[in-house]
Formats: sequence, C-alpha cells, structure tokens
Amino acid sequence: MKPKQFQKIVSEVRDQSFTEEVQKLRGGENILDCIQCGVCSGSCPARFAMDFSPMQIIKMIHLGMRDQVLSSSTIWICASCYTCATRCPRGIDIPMFMSALKNIAIKNGFASDDEIKPKFHKSFTEIIRKYGRMHEPELKMKLMRKSDLRELYQNAVLAFRLWRKGKVKLLAPRMDQLSHISEIFEDLLEKQEEEASK
Amino acid sequence: MKYAFFPGCAVHASAKEYGMSCKAISKVLGIELIEIPEWNCCGSIDAIYAHNPVLSISLSARNLSLAEKMGTDVITLCSACFFTLSRANKLMHEDPKLKGQVDNVLGNLKLNYNGEIKVRHFLDVLLNDVGLEKISENVKVPLKELRVAPYYGCLLVRPPEIANFDEPEHPTSMDKLMEVLGATNVNYLDKTRCCGASLIVTKERIALEMTKNLLLTAKNAEADCIVTACPMCHFNLDAMQKDVESTFDVDINLPVLYITQVIGIAFGLNVKELGLNRNCVSPMKLLSKLKI
Amino acid sequence: MPREQLRIGVYICHCGGNISDTVDVERVREHIAKLKNVEIAKTYEYVCSNPGQEMIRNDIKKHKLNRIIIAACSPRMHLDTFRQTIETAGLNPYLLEITNLREQCSWVHDDKENATIKATALIHGAVERARNLEPLKPDFLPVKKEVLVIGGGIAGIMTSIELADKGFNVYLVEKEPTIGGHMAQLSKTFPTLDCSQCILTPKMVYVSRHPNIKIFDMAEPISLEGSPGNYKVLIRVKPRFVDKTSCTSCGECAKICPVKKPSKFEEGLLQEKAIYLPFKQAIPNAYVIDKDHCLFLNKGVCRLCERVCKGKAIDFEQKEDIIELNVGAIVVCTGYKQLNVSPFTQYSYGLHPDIITNLQFERLMLQGIHRPSNGKPPRKVAFVLCVGSRSNSDGCAAHCCKIGCMNAIKHSLLLEKAIPDADPWIFYTDVRAHGKGYEEFYSKAREHNVKFIRGRVAEVIPNGDNILVRAEDTLLGMTVEEEFDLVVLSPALLPNTDTSKLAQMLGIDLGPNGFLLERHHKLRPVDSKREGIFMAGCALGPKDIRETTMEAMSTASKVATFLAKGKVTLSPEVAYVLPKKCDGCGVCVEHCPAKAIQIVSSKATIDAISCLGCGVCVPKCPKEAIDLKNCTNEQLMAQIRGVCEENGAAPKIIAFLEKTTAYGSADLAGQSRRSYISNVRIVGVPSTGRVGIKHLLYAFAAGADGIILIEGDDSPFTEEKLREHMIQLKKELGKFGVKSLRLVSTTTTLPQYEKVVNLFETFTERISKIGPIPKEKRAEIMKKLKLEGGSQS
Repeated sequence: MKPKQFQKIVSEVRDQSFTEEVQKLRGGENILDCIQCGVCSGSCPARFAMDFSPMQIIKMIHLGMRDQVLSSSTIWICASCYTCATRCPRGIDIPMFMSALKNIAIKNGFASDDEIKPKFHKSFTEIIRKYGRMHEPELKMKLMRKSDLRELYQNAVLAFRLWRKGKVKLLAPRMDQLSHISEIFEDLLEKQEEEASK
Repeated sequence: MKYAFFPGCAVHASAKEYGMSCKAISKVLGIELIEIPEWNCCGSIDAIYAHNPVLSISLSARNLSLAEKMGTDVITLCSACFFTLSRANKLMHEDPKLKGQVDNVLGNLKLNYNGEIKVRHFLDVLLNDVGLEKISENVKVPLKELRVAPYYGCLLVRPPEIANFDEPEHPTSMDKLMEVLGATNVNYLDKTRCCGASLIVTKERIALEMTKNLLLTAKNAEADCIVTACPMCHFNLDAMQKDVESTFDVDINLPVLYITQVIGIAFGLNVKELGLNRNCVSPMKLLSKLKI
Repeated sequence: MPREQLRIGVYICHCGGNISDTVDVERVREHIAKLKNVEIAKTYEYVCSNPGQEMIRNDIKKHKLNRIIIAACSPRMHLDTFRQTIETAGLNPYLLEITNLREQCSWVHDDKENATIKATALIHGAVERARNLEPLKPDFLPVKKEVLVIGGGIAGIMTSIELADKGFNVYLVEKEPTIGGHMAQLSKTFPTLDCSQCILTPKMVYVSRHPNIKIFDMAEPISLEGSPGNYKVLIRVKPRFVDKTSCTSCGECAKICPVKKPSKFEEGLLQEKAIYLPFKQAIPNAYVIDKDHCLFLNKGVCRLCERVCKGKAIDFEQKEDIIELNVGAIVVCTGYKQLNVSPFTQYSYGLHPDIITNLQFERLMLQGIHRPSNGKPPRKVAFVLCVGSRSNSDGCAAHCCKIGCMNAIKHSLLLEKAIPDADPWIFYTDVRAHGKGYEEFYSKAREHNVKFIRGRVAEVIPNGDNILVRAEDTLLGMTVEEEFDLVVLSPALLPNTDTSKLAQMLGIDLGPNGFLLERHHKLRPVDSKREGIFMAGCALGPKDIRETTMEAMSTASKVATFLAKGKVTLSPEVAYVLPKKCDGCGVCVEHCPAKAIQIVSSKATIDAISCLGCGVCVPKCPKEAIDLKNCTNEQLMAQIRGVCEENGAAPKIIAFLEKTTAYGSADLAGQSRRSYISNVRIVGVPSTGRVGIKHLLYAFAAGADGIILIEGDDSPFTEEKLREHMIQLKKELGKFGVKSLRLVSTTTTLPQYEKVVNLFETFTERISKIGPIPKEKRAEIMKKLKLEGGSQS
C-alpha cells in the first residue's frame, strides 16, 4: 500500500473537465448523484489494500482531481465483485467506471512501471488475439519478472504443483476460425488505435 | 433438456475436473450439453473490457450468435463467463448504438445476433430446470456425515440485474442442493464475499489475504469442505491454498470441491470420472469419511 | 343583441415624467382621440392620484362613458385601484382596460420616436379590446360550516381539536379501530423525552368527549362529490362485531378466545387474541373482532366470546355501513407507513430475531428492554440509519425520513438509562439536527459517549447469537466490523397505504415521492390544489410530532378562514361552453389542468368553481365551442389587431405573456430600467395556452413578423404542456406557409427578466435576418382565415 500523502485541494490539482470526462464513461453517467454515504467502501472486500476508498475516489472525481484518481491503487485493486454496486443507494455502477478509469490511466501513462495490472491487461488481450482463448502458461510467462529469482522459484513451485494435478495445459488452445478473432481485433482495436493516434 | 454449452477457457485447462464432473452428472440427470463449436474467450470481465469495451462485447457477441444458431440458451460453468456474456447481452439490449457497432463486426464474419437467447449458469439449470426432486431421486450415497460450506462468491449472484436466479445477499441455491444430497450446511459468514480471484495474477498478496479470510471462516465453522460453482474461485481456494498457508503461516488443509463433484459423489459416480484426483487439496480423507 | 352606444374614455398618464419624458403623450392623445368611439382622451400628470381618479369619476357621469382605458403603469400596480374608481362611479369594474406605458414602454426604451409609436399601438389595442368588453360579476356560494378530517393520528387529532374549539363541527374518520396513530406506539418523544402516551391520550380523550367532534372508527371515505364549501362524502364503516356502547372493556372475551395472532400495535413482537383491544387507552375503548382470524366468522364455530360477555356487546350481525356527510372542507391527515425492510436483504431483516425496526424498538422499550431472541438485556446496540432512504433504487425513498437521526439518539439515551453499561452505536449518513433543541440533543448523546459512525451500513449479518455489522467509517477511511446484541433499523417513511387512491378520489395531486402535493411549497403549504381540501402531517411528507402539531394548527386556521368567510367567491374570468357548438368530443377534458371539465349528456360542462381561467381549453376545442370570459376570442383578436397598428421599430414582434409571472418579469425589466428595442409589443394573457393558431395567424396577417410566447414557471400550463402546444402550433403554421422560426417560446420565473429581454433581443435578430412577411402573404393568410375586417387603419 502506498503511503497516503498529505495533499491540499487547490485549483492546481483540480481539472473540472475530468469530472465531465468520467460522466461520459459507461458507469460514470450518474457519478454526481453520489451522496458520499460510504456503502461502497464498507462493502468492499479489497478495501484494506486500497490507498483511497471507492467513495473517496468518487469525491475526488467530483472535485476533478484527475492525477490523484488515475494514479491511485484503488482502480487497480477493484476486483469487480459488484458488492458495492448491488448496494449503492444511487445506482452507481462502480466496477464499470473503475474499468473505464483503468483505460484512461493506461492511455495517459498513469499506470506506473511496477504496476503489473496494465501489463496483465495488455498480455491478456494479446493472447486472446493470438489464440481466441486463454493460454495460462503463456500469460504467466509474459508477466514474470525474469530478474526476480525468488518470484521465478515460487512460480516454478506453483507450476509443478499444478502440472502434477493435470492443471497445466502446455499446448496452446486451437481454434479453426481464428480468422474471426483476428478480424474482430482488427475491426475494433486497430480502428481505436488509429483514432487515438490522430 | 438440451443446451448450448460454453465451457470457457478454465474448464479446458486448469478446471478440467469441473467439466468432467459436470458431464458425468449431466448424463445421469439427462441434461444434454452441446459445446458451442469454435467458441472463443467470453470477453473478460475487465482485462479486455477496460481496454476496449466494444471489443470485449464483440467477443461475447460472437459466442452468443453461435449459440443462437443452435437455438438454445447458453449455459456456462464459470461465474466470470456468466457475468461477461450476460453483461454483453444486457448492454446490447439497452444500447442500440452499441448493438449497431457490434452488428457491424459480426456482419464482417457473416454472423448476426438477434438477442433472443439468455445466458444461464449451470447451477440455475440444476435448480430450476432439473429440480431438487429429480436430483434427490438419483442420490445413492447420502452425504450424511458431510459438513459443507457452500461458497457463492461474487458474480454468481451479483449484480441482481444480471445474475437473477438467486438472491444477492443471502443466496440459497447451493445450500438447497446440499440439503437434498443429505449434507449439512455449516453456518459461516461471507459466503458471498469475493475471494479475490481476479487479483491473483496481478495483486497476489491482496488476493491471498482475501482467500485466507474466507478459508479460515469456513474452517472455523468446522466445515469438511468448501463447495463452489466457479473455476476462478476454485483455483484461488484450492490451488492457491498452499500459498495462503505459506504466506500467512497458517494451517488450513480444507478441500474445495466443485458442486458438480459433490453431486457426483452422492450419485455414486467414481472418483476418476469426477476428476477428484485433480483437486490440489486432497479430498481423499473426506471421501474415506464417507466410506468411499 | 343590440349594443349600447360605445363611449370610451382614455386617460394617459405622465407619471410625473416617468412616461412623458420618453413618450410624447400629447401626440399619442391626439392620435387616439381620433379613433372610433373614443368620446374623450386626456393626459394627466398623475392619473392614480385622488384628483386624477376624481376626474375620471366625473367624466364617467358627465360624458356617460361606458369603457375606460388607463394608459399608465403596469396593471399589476393599479388594476384594483382603478376598478374601484369606476365601480364607485357606477360602472362595472370589468369595463376597464389598463395599458402598460411605463414598465413595458417608457422605462425600457430610449428611442422617443419609436416609444411614442409603440405607446400609440398599445393603447390602440386597448381601445379595440375595450369595444368588446362585457360587464362581469363574481358569483358567491354559501359554505357548509362542517369539516371532514381523514385520519386520526396526531395530525388529525390536533386539527380536529383546533377546529372544534373554534366552533366548527368536525367528523373525524379513522380506518383503524382506535385513533392515536403511530404516536400511541411510541415510548418517549425527542428531544424532551416526555412520555408519548402521557401527552397523547389526554388529547384522544378530549377528542372523544368534544361535543363538536364525531369520530367514525374503522371507517374510510369512498367517494366525493360537490364543490368547495359544499362537498358530499360517502364514508364506509366496517363492522366491529362489538357494540361500542355496551362493551365495558372487561377483557373476559379475550381471555376465552382460542385464536392468537400477532399484535399490530406491538409491531408483531407480541401476540393478541382474535377479539382484542388495540391498546389499553384506545379510543373508542371497546374490543374489536378481527374478521380474518375469528373462528366463528371464518369457520362458523366457536362464539365463546359471546357466551362470556356480560354486557351482551358481541354482535356478529353487524354489517358494513355507508354514511353520507355534507361538509364545507376536508382535511387529509393520513400519515405515513414505514418501508418494508425485508426486500433489502443486506440488512438480513427477518433472519435473526434481534434485527428489528425502530418502531419495534419503541415497543421493546415499553415492554421492558430485552433481546427478542433470548429475553436478555441488550448491551451493545447498533442503530442503522437511512435504511431505504435517500436512494433512487427500486422501492426506496429519494427523500430523508427526517426523524431517524433524532429517534436513534433518543433510543441511545433511553437505552443507556435502562441499561447502565449499554454501548449504543449510531451508523449515520449525515446527522440532521435542524429542529428546536435538536442540536443540543445531539450534543447530549455525544456527552453520553454514544458512538457515531459516519457511514451507511454495508451489511448486517447474523453470526450465531450475535449480529455483525460492516460499514466504512468514512471520516477515518477505515472499515468498521463490529458484533452487536441488537440491531435497530430506521426504515424510510413512505406515504400511508392508499394515499394515492385517496388523492385520486379527492382530485388532489401527489408529489414525485408519493406524498400529497401542496398548492405552493412556500406560501400555501397546507392547501391542496383543490379549493376547500387541506392537508396536515406526514401525508404531506415526513415530519416529527412538533412539526406535525404546528402544521395541524396552521391547517385548522386555514380551514377556519375558508369556512368563516361563509361564502366562496367565484371569479367571473372562467371558461364557458357554447352548448350549440359542442359535440362532446372531450378534447378539452384531457387538456384541463384543473379537471374542471366533464362531459355530461354528450356536452362539455365546465365547473366554474374549479376552473382556473387559464383558457388552455379554448384553442384546443375543434368546434370553437369554448370561450373565456374577459379574454374572449373577440376581445383577444381585437387587441391583436390594435397593437399591430402603427409601424415604429421593425421587425414587429408580438409577445404574449402569461399575465402573472411572465408579465411580471417583463415589468421587472422595466423597474430595473433594462432597456431594449421598442419593436416588441406585449399582450398579457391568462396563460400562453390561451393563444391558439388563429391568434398567431391573425397577428401575422395584421402585420406581425414574429411571435413570442412566455409562460410563468409556476403555471398550471407546464413547460411540458407548452412544448406540446408549440409543436402543434408550428405544425399548423407550416400549413399556412409561415416559417416555424417566426414563433418562439420560453418559461420564466419572476426575477429572470434578463432571460426574457435576451429572448426579445435574440429573437429580433433572428426575425431581422428572415425579413418581413410580404404583403401578399399577409393578405393570403387573412383570406384563408376568412375573417372579416383585418387591418382597419
């Protein structure tokens, strides 16, 4: 957990266009409706690991604290378990806008290097593009920090345990209609990237 | 009873025993699950969705369109796939603009989706299509001695506008099934509290802590095993249990069984057929308690 | 009908330079004096002064004037003054027309030439209109000095007492077998901590003994007819199966009754028999048989109660009764109900006996505080606020329950008093301590070390004997996870069951949250939209006992004022039907915002008492079978014709302003000397819904290039209705080949004059770009309209 730094809310840290940006996202439409009751945070099973509670994230969005929101650990720790959204009295789809915030954070380079989650998202997407389905060993390989010997060792132990139980499928999954998947990705991903580069 | 079956990536890999036991009990109960030919990744809850929602929804839609061709609802085993496919179904239904975008993508593949099918979890089928009565008729080995902790987790029962076959806060579907099999449900907290599976790759320590809490509450309630209906939860609770033990220096050793495995045991099916040898935390002691 | 010879007197005011510095009043006078039927035209320094008024009175007598036009300040200023002036001279007050030369002309225009031309046009319009004015008389209806009060909780009790003490006869109708309502169930009241029953029951007894009050228990109104001051209400009285006068409440019947059921009064925490007394001090103090549980009434056997009753009070023959009441006014005091918490499963209500509601806690306090599960005293207690309140989820309440915070504080203090080592925790969203003594009460709770956690409870989970509560302390940013002996939920307050059914029957409105809607949030807070029907207490919205009592008293005062006048004055400015033209199609019924129109034997009939005089129905009638007094089609057309005369600043724009708020807003622009171009000529109308396609076309034909409609923000002709009206009008304009861009509308509040003036300016710009309507086009429209006359200059 990152140490919480004392910060002042001054106009320099606020960017009201960020509030509007989040409002336009799926899940962010009714974010201004939040009454700061804290049900989301009290419900969150991963709250203990977050630097800001989901409720605080919403407040920060209200105030346009773009950088603080996008660099918070919260958005990456949300496990999308939907306990908060099920109970929110204002019907805010918190996991949905957390997903959207991740997207903005990646695009704007907020996800720091030691943050494994963006890498996970990227690798996950690559593998699905390659095979149409998940190939767990390859995902694990992509994410492993090869320099960390301890991590390598731990992963090897886990892999062995899983392999013994027949839980490791070394062969990559195969699809006959892989071209479908390629087309979907070309249609959407590349278009998006093209638009982004413009 | 015939359904289009969406196994999902895990059932083809780390959760083979879920698929095996599902097939085995389906045979007994007369459920015909026809695997969707050429299915692909469900679209992911978050990994692809956060990157590009339309991409994720299009991946879901391809599966839905293939299933629609088969003329039946889609059945999933995995709570995450259940959520992802249902979410895509719901969003396409609510948002015509999105539906148009997805239609374009599908059109290029010479596919189309009319939005006429539902996405359902296998547990829903067991409870509402097969029914408790039929299940109880097939019980050969009543699980009299067994104390189970049914674990629902997150997306099997939430959010209510998507997962609507049970109750989000106090679900009972698995409890009811366990009762029919003769087992005793232990009372324990947090049967719907997230195990952290979606964080296990990226935030391992956090996920393990969440898992640890769950395992300990179930163990303290003197459960013989945890029963789950999701390969993600299972992986976290079962395969990662050793890591939980070593990380937090606790002794747990609590078997985690798929609901289909437990039903199979009660139906008198054999251990191999149910893939019980594939569970990481060995359920053998538990089986011997049941004299199997 | 032969008309009397028209003799119009026109008086143009200098207003001490306010008008005459900008408008050349002498030139205007000269011009107007030449108009047909204008007998006399004068200018005067201050027309509103005593000598000014005297001059008019003398002229009326001397010149036999029968129409008067005052061209001075806004009619909002002196309409009543001048109506009185001419009335004292023997002229009907409705034969007066006021032209606004100050707020809407001299104060807002700098260009003297054009201001003078505009002033002439406005007076010209008034002259045209004045030719068509008719004498009108308000009607009066006598009022019945009896009141029906619906609901016998604290609101109904206090209203009844206040009215009865003032000498009015009151019928108090209560659907339960006893009056008293929720207040009878409470232990103590905040913030004074006095015993609820001790202060309530004397009032109940007072009501029951009052010679002016008659209580109908187990009764409810089922139909309403008549009009304000003269309502006829049918009341259905359900059988009690016990004769109230013979019952001595000895209780022998209940002792022998074999059937048990949960007690409603005890919130289901205790059982009672099928023959029961709701509570010891019930009024009327008589037993009652529960029809759904009585063995005899359901299975035809038993009658044990009948056998033991010494007073022979049991009467299984009792039947439902219908009673007719004739009253002048009605007060609705139907109160609230609590939200059913069971569907909100995160609170686990019903899954553990020690998870209860705050109303159940009241009963527990009175029974001797204990845990329902094991009878032991609860030490650690969680008070969970805002259960289902302030939420937009399905089945929840968007509003605040208003009593939850103080109630939880009260419970905490009572608990600490009863159990010295008790540990109360209050989980709140925002502590609202607005009433008298409430903040101090909150302080007292803090001094008593009541723990306040700022965070809405996430979940309440039964955990063995105890109950786990999870919440975020949002001030600390930490999760609270604590076990409790007892969890007390504060459910949202909702309008009582059947409030909407009752409102529909009475013809009054509900607000968005389902509570009854007041006529005006600030100034008429206890009046319903229907004259003679008033409201008090929680039927209007959540409130505490003090506030309810104050409201009951003010409602009683309003009722008394209404009844004491002895008569209802009916404005003569109402819509009326021309039966020969009406074919009973019913279009008007749909559009009437006051539900004043009914189809009776296939003709529309308008209840003049309910009619608001907005005139919305008039242009909607496909047969032109409706007209509006004092703003008839003839009068309005004539005025349009008049104001379209004279050229002045171009383009010529006619603005129809709803005569209270929108017109007032334009006046305010004048008072603020917000100057604008003099091309806009304002015509006041009861509502912009009064203006139909014919009026627009006539204005275009007569010389207008653009038309503006401005409605008041608080008008019964709502923004939504105006929008629909505009769509219709624009479609029709299209048919006549007039660009829909030539018509614009908006709504305004009184202070938003800047919005009004901006619209004048931007619209002028727009019309200038489009250019004027060609002469031939105007002629063509006029031809199509097939109206005689047209421009008469």
